[in-house]
Formats: sequence, C-alpha cells, structure tokens
Amino acid sequence: MTTLSLPTKSPAYTLEEGLREPAAASSVRRGAPDEWAREELLLRKLGPKGWGRVYQFRNYYESGWGDKGRVLSPRALDAFFRFLEEATFPAAKSTPSVFLTDRGGIELCWEDRNGKSMQVEFTGTGAEFYKAATDEEGSVAFDGLGQLSHRLSA
Amino acid sequence: MSDGFPIQIPDRLPVHIDPCPIVQAIFETRFVSPQPWATMPGLLFAQIREKYPEQKTLPMAQLPEELRRQDPALLILPLIQFLSDNFLIQLGPRVVSLVTRPNAYPGWSAIAQELNWLLERLKVAGFVGETERLSSRYIDFFGGDIFTALRLGLQINDQPLRGTQTDVTTILRRDAMSIRLQATNGAIVATKEGPTSGSVLDLDAWFGSLDVDLFGNGLARFAEAHHAIKGLFFGLIKPELLSKLNPTYE
Repeated sequence: MTTLSLPTKSPAYTLEEGLREPAAASSVRRGAPDEWAREELLLRKLGPKGWGRVYQFRNYYESGWGDKGRVLSPRALDAFFRFLEEATFPAAKSTPSVFLTDRGGIELCWEDRNGKSMQVEFTGTGAEFYKAATDEEGSVAFDGLGQLSHRLSA
Repeated sequence: MSDGFPIQIPDRLPVHIDPCPIVQAIFETRFVSPQPWATMPGLLFAQIREKYPEQKTLPMAQLPEELRRQDPALLILPLIQFLSDNFLIQLGPRVVSLVTRPNAYPGWSAIAQELNWLLERLKVAGFVGETERLSSRYIDFFGGDIFTALRLGLQINDQPLRGTQTDVTTILRRDAMSIRLQATNGAIVATKEGPTSGSVLDLDAWFGSLDVDLFGNGLARFAEAHHAIKGLFFGLIKPELLSKLNPTYE
C-alpha cells in the first residue's frame, strides 16, 4: 500500500530527485517516522486484524458514527498504546480484540490463561477494567496504566 | 549527554544570529472536534478576520474526503489558509497551525504574542475538542552540504559519507517530548531569487495528547518545544558554522 502523491500545498522545501521516494511498490508501505513504533507495536501485539481495526477507528469514525458515537479520543488512544507497550498476552490464546466505544474510548478484550475474560476500556480520563476470573472491576488514571498492564496481562 | 540524550546542548544559547537560516517555523495543533469540518472555517474566520482578512483554499481541499482518509498523512493536512502580513493560519479537519512567512522569521517574542492571540480566538471559536498533538517545527536552509557543518552524518565502513546526496531522519525522545530530526543535503527551496538547491535541517518537536491541553498548557508547550529545537540546533552545528552565523548573546 503506497500513498498517493497529489500536490497538496507549496512545501517549504522539496528533495532533489534522487532522494525522493522511489516509484510506488504495491507491497511496501513506509510508516511515517513518528508513527512507525506504534504501528509495529500494534502488529506485534494485536496482529494484522487489530492493526487494521485501530486504523479504521482513527481515520474513518467521525463524531456521530453509528447513532451518537463520539470520535476516538486521542488521550484514550495514547493510554491504549501506553498499556499495550507493557502488556503480555497469553500466547496460547486468541489475539486480543479491540473495539471503539460510544463515548470515544477504545476497548481491549482478551482471555487469560484459564480462558476467563479480561476487558479494559481506555477513555479520555484513564482506564476502566473488568477481570472475570475474580469478578473484579475498577478504574485507574493515566499514571497507573503501566502497573495495571502488568497486573492484568501477567 | 549525562541524561542519555545524544546531542550536547550548549549552556549558553545565542539570542540572535545573522544571516538567519530559518525558512519557515510552524506551530501546529492536531485535535479532534465534535463539529463537522464544513462549519470550522466559518467559525474560525469570524474570530480572526480583522487580522487575517484574506483566505485561500489549498489544492488538497479538492481531493475527495474518501481519498484523504486512505492516507493518515493526508488527513492531518490543512485545507485552507488565512493570511496576514506576517503570518499564515492553516486549518484542516484535524489541524490548525500558525506559520511564519517564508524567509521572514519575526522572532520568538512576536510568535509567542501571536500564538497567545490565536489560542484565545480558537477558544472562542469553540470547535477544538481534545488536543491530539502539539508541535513546534523549524525548517532551516543552508547553501552547500550541511553534513560538513553538523555533528551528525552517515558513515560507511566507519568513514563519513561525503559528496553524495544524503537524507537522514531520526526520532529522538526527551522526557514527554518527541523530536523528529531530518537533515538533507539535497533540498530545493524557493527563495526570492528563485529555486535554490542546498541543505535543509528540519526539526519538529511535539507532545502527545496525554501531555498537552491546547487551552491549558498549550502556550507553555509551544515555548518548550521551541526552546528544545533552539538547543538542538546549536548543539548540532559545529563551531565553524556557528561563527559564520555571527551569534550575539545576552
């Protein structure tokens, strides 16, 4: 997948011909330098399906999607990535699923080693979680995401 | 370098250099909005028309929205410009930026004053929801090969690569700030004398959504990013180039 190259505006500078992107290669998509790490993280932890769903949530769901759905909160997305960086999911189980919630949050669901459900919804203010094995639920602020990730995904 | 950051920032930074290599400085906020795009230009123009009476639709606006969605890089491009004598304001469905006029850098105090004014106007316009990313970006142009004047370069077999077209891009992290550093010796820049080839140093420093709120700490974050870029610039250039820029200190 390559990007199209229509003239967008007068850029401050252009690269000389030899340094420009080579002709489109249909099988190669070069990630933006500041996004590469996140894309790699998504592919590694959630697989191509999860990567594709997050891409859709970010780019295709505007305010008012569905009926009264809110646009994906950038804070929720950053919190989601912060959690994902620290998370380790059971290898034998299916890849975690990801959902966009009505209030603009992003929800991650997976099964623990015993097949019990785990859910974390990331919102503009933090994260809310549910652990079916112990019927435990709660919420954490952004600074507690790393700890929550270790606790739930260990 | 004691904190693990690879570039040594000088303790004392100049307050003025001449000639000034800055082609353009861009102060950008990406955001999400509860408002549809169609209403945003009108809401903003109503607030800024006294200072920015002229507006220009950018070519990207002609591209169907469905096509723009297929590439995240296109989604965050501005679609319309508002122009004043000293600055441009650019607006898109997810982005608003204050841009200096090409090759006419007005200095940080003038920029800070304009940013402060723009933030007040944006707040009244009411369409900016949550902040996604806030950045300061400086694009500098130099005649000749910048890699001979930078403490940065590409090596092959432990030898500096010289005399070839080179483009280096890397991402650095410093606390909550991310910095994209791009250096190229194969750039073409529009000047008053026409297109000129040479080198560009392009520094973009930004904060993510968890560390910024445009109407809270936005101005302070712009200043922080500006200061970081200034430090990086003077940390990257070698003394020979610095002396050619005739620095003055407080």
